[in-house]
Formats: sequence, structure tokens, C-alpha cells
Amino acid sequence: MLGTDRSADLLNRVHAAAAALAAENLQNVQDIVPAYLGVAVFYDSLQASFAEMSAKLLAVCERAAGSTTIPLALREHEISVVYDGPDLSYVAESCGLSPNEVVARHSGRSYTVDLLGFVPGFGYLSELDPSLRLPRRAQPRPRVLAGSVAIAGAQTGIYPLDTPGGWHIIGRTAKSMFDPERNPPALLSAGDVVRFVPVL
Amino acid sequence: MITITRAPPYLTVQDTGRKHSLSSGVPRGGAMDGFALQALNALVGNPLDTPALEWALGGGTLRFQVDCVLAFGGARARAVLGKETVSSFTTRYAKAGDQLAVEQLTSGRFLYIAFGGGIDVPPILASRSTYLPGRFGGYNGRLIAHNDTLILGARPSSTPAEGFTCPPELIPRYESAAVRITRGPHSDLFDESTWRTLTETEFVVSTASDRTGYKLTGKPVSDAAHNLPSDPSCQGAIQIPGDGAPIVLMADAPTVGGYPKMAIVAEADLPIIAQRSPGERVRFQLVTIEQSQRALKHRTSDLYTIGATGAASA
Repeated sequence: MLGTDRSADLLNRVHAAAAALAAENLQNVQDIVPAYLGVAVFYDSLQASFAEMSAKLLAVCERAAGSTTIPLALREHEISVVYDGPDLSYVAESCGLSPNEVVARHSGRSYTVDLLGFVPGFGYLSELDPSLRLPRRAQPRPRVLAGSVAIAGAQTGIYPLDTPGGWHIIGRTAKSMFDPERNPPALLSAGDVVRFVPVL
Repeated sequence: MITITRAPPYLTVQDTGRKHSLSSGVPRGGAMDGFALQALNALVGNPLDTPALEWALGGGTLRFQVDCVLAFGGARARAVLGKETVSSFTTRYAKAGDQLAVEQLTSGRFLYIAFGGGIDVPPILASRSTYLPGRFGGYNGRLIAHNDTLILGARPSSTPAEGFTCPPELIPRYESAAVRITRGPHSDLFDESTWRTLTETEFVVSTASDRTGYKLTGKPVSDAAHNLPSDPSCQGAIQIPGDGAPIVLMADAPTVGGYPKMAIVAEADLPIIAQRSPGERVRFQLVTIEQSQRALKHRTSDLYTIGATGAASA
């Protein structure tokens, strides 16, 4: 845990710590999972004890916090979106905007991948234009198609698989967000930057 | 080759899961009862993480088109090979043409059947486990059904003797009343009386339990709803949602979640909780991380003992 309250600054420090931990290539580490308040490190507990592992990890995090500029390998993604989602008109109406304005505001800024989760390859992207923020649907859909671009609260995201979902679907992309035959399987990583490009 | 002549309602291929794709949001998955999977692999001469069948919810039959070494165990069930009843956690040799019939599971939830050479399916993200929600891994990412055929890998060079049995003292005490837990990442959000409730209540496994997680009913653990930002999760994490009914996350649980994780089930005791059926009881006993790690080492050395004793019987 690097903090107790969610903020953009804390998330930056989390991503920096995760990158620093990954760069160390520490023995017995299986995976590094950043989230809002901290980083989880999964390790082989048959090979390393909790005490020795946590001492090593904390030392890396302290060094990372001490250096002011962590060169994050920033990756940017442009994602083409057809904005014809089933909830586009509902979103427009609820926000007092025209559908075209919703599209302009959704595609008019870049987003940071806060973290991955919910289902394989699903990135929580922040921050949505304040005029587009709505609570999630009262009734989640039993099946949202892979490639659906959706919004809820201050976040937007792209469903990587056909799954149940409660976000408002405003568009779709043909981009493969998750492919188990690829390594890494997810297109997005925590800390990446995403831009949406409207296409017809 | 093996043909499924009557499939149980749930049948998949599982190994020890995906340990390196959590950061892409891929759950670890793998066998719900990792001990049974690994012990059975030891009994057929396989490396411990070789893919095997995970079987639940009813009986079924399969037919061998090749000679093959096999062992089954985990959930209790009566199984008949040819005309002979076979015991669990025992090495058996089937001849081409033999049939293996598994009758209703009598206790426990997940039965495993390991075959010498394992089930030959392609690795996806460094594992041959089936992840049903993502429709990948294992047998084409799906449940194995009637008339499906399984190809076996190359038979191990040395296999235990017919009738070799895993020493009973090395098998987890599945009936054990207490499941060991350690303090979880949000343990400090819960006060002493809440901790007493968690460790002194006899919980009941609810019907809302599957490979994702087991919901437990009993005395509510806390009535304070904590709304936390999504946080990394893991198998064995005990989440306390707003209604106070704990949820133990299992193999296919999402990699992040927003409920506070009060405690974590000791990895060595995951098989005990995995094998509890709806309606069965469970109690938790708080131990230190060091005790939990020692228990896992112990369990793992038991697995190697089974392998070594089996090899010596060959």
C-alpha cells in the first residue's frame, strides 16, 4: 500500500513503483499487479519467505520514491471507435447533450489506464469528461459484446470479452483488446495512455 | 486415446494454473484442489503440474483406447475399472478397451483423474487449465462433453507399481473442522470483536459457490460497508461485502476487487475449503504468515514423498 486515498498522484506513484519493481527482475517474483492504492507482488513462497521478500520489495519502492523521475516506458494506443452504441442516445439525453457532442467529448481527451481487472484485458480508463458522468445501469446486461466501448462514473473502458456488464455502451471497436494467444495477452497495461478516434 | 462415453455435468482439464498473467487481468485458475491434482500426478509418475481431469456434479464413464496408468481422488466417489472397484489415491493400470465408471460423488465437490503422460492440450499463457468464462485453455476452452476424445502425452519412463497407494497420513484431512487463515491486506479495518466473529463462527457454505468463490452464511462478520477502490485479489482471499457474509475467492476469481480482504486462507488449506459442498460447515483459525508458509512447505514435501515412494515401488 502506498496510500489510503485514491488520487491521480497516488496512481502515478503506484505505476512508478510497479515499473521499478518490474525493472529489478527479482528472483521468485511471479507477477506484479498495480491497483489504485498500491502494488501486489505475487512470489513463490516455497522459495522465499514473506520477511525476506517484503524487505527486498520495500527497499526497491523506497529507492523508486526517492528518485524524482522514473522513466516510465509510456505506451500510447489509438483506438478507432464506431460511435453507434445502444446507450448513446440515453447518455446524450441524460447529459443534456447531442450524440455528436458526447462523441466529441469522449474522443476529445486522452485517458490513463488506471488498472486491469474485472475480466481479462479490461482496462479502467480515467478520467471521463465531467459532463458525461452517469451511474452505471440499474440493470446490468447479461451479455455485452467484446469490443463495446462504454462509460460509467468517471471512467471509460472497452469490453475485451463477451461478458455481463453494467456500463453504458456508446460505441464499438474492432481492435482485439485481449488475445490469449498473444503475450502479453492484454493490449493495455496499467499506466498506458489511450486515445479514441471516431470512425464512420 | 480416451473417449468420454458419458460426461458428468462438469468436466474440464486443469493443471496448477497461470501464475504470470494476473497483471493482464487473467485469473490464476487451475485445479480447485491443487493437492489432489499434484498427488495424483505423483501416483502416475507425472511431473506434479501435469494437466488432469477435474470432474464434478455427477457420475460418468470413459473408455480407454490405449493401455494407460491412472489414479483418481479428491472428492469421494465409487469408481469401477472394468468390473473391479478401485480405491482413491491408488495407482491403477487400465487396458485398451477397459471402461472406467465413476458413480455419484458421495462427499466433496471436485474429483480428479490423472493419467500417465497427462492430457495433451496446447498451453495457453503457460498453462493448460480451462478458463470457462474466457473460453480459452484446456479442451478448446470448454466443458468436455459426451463423445469427446482425449489424447494422452508420452507415458512417463517410470510409473509406480499397480496398487501403490498414497500413505493416508499424507492426504489432507478434508473433514478437518478448521481452515487456517492469515490476516489479509485490510485486516486493520476490522476490530477485535469482528475478528472474534470471523474466527469463532461456524459458517455454512452457501449454494452461491462455484469456481469463482464460495459465499459463507452464518453470523454476519461486519455491518460496516467498506467501499474501497479496486485492489488486487488472490485465491483464498476472504472478502467481507456489505451484508457481512464472507466470500472466499477461489481459482477463477477476478484479479482485482473492491471489497475489503479481511483474511487469506493458508494455501495449504485451500483444498479443504475447495472440497466443501453447499450446506457443509467451515471454521477459521488464525495463524501467522510464517505458520502458513511452513504448512505449504510441509504439504509440498509430502507431495515429493509420494512421488519418491511411488517411484521406489516401480
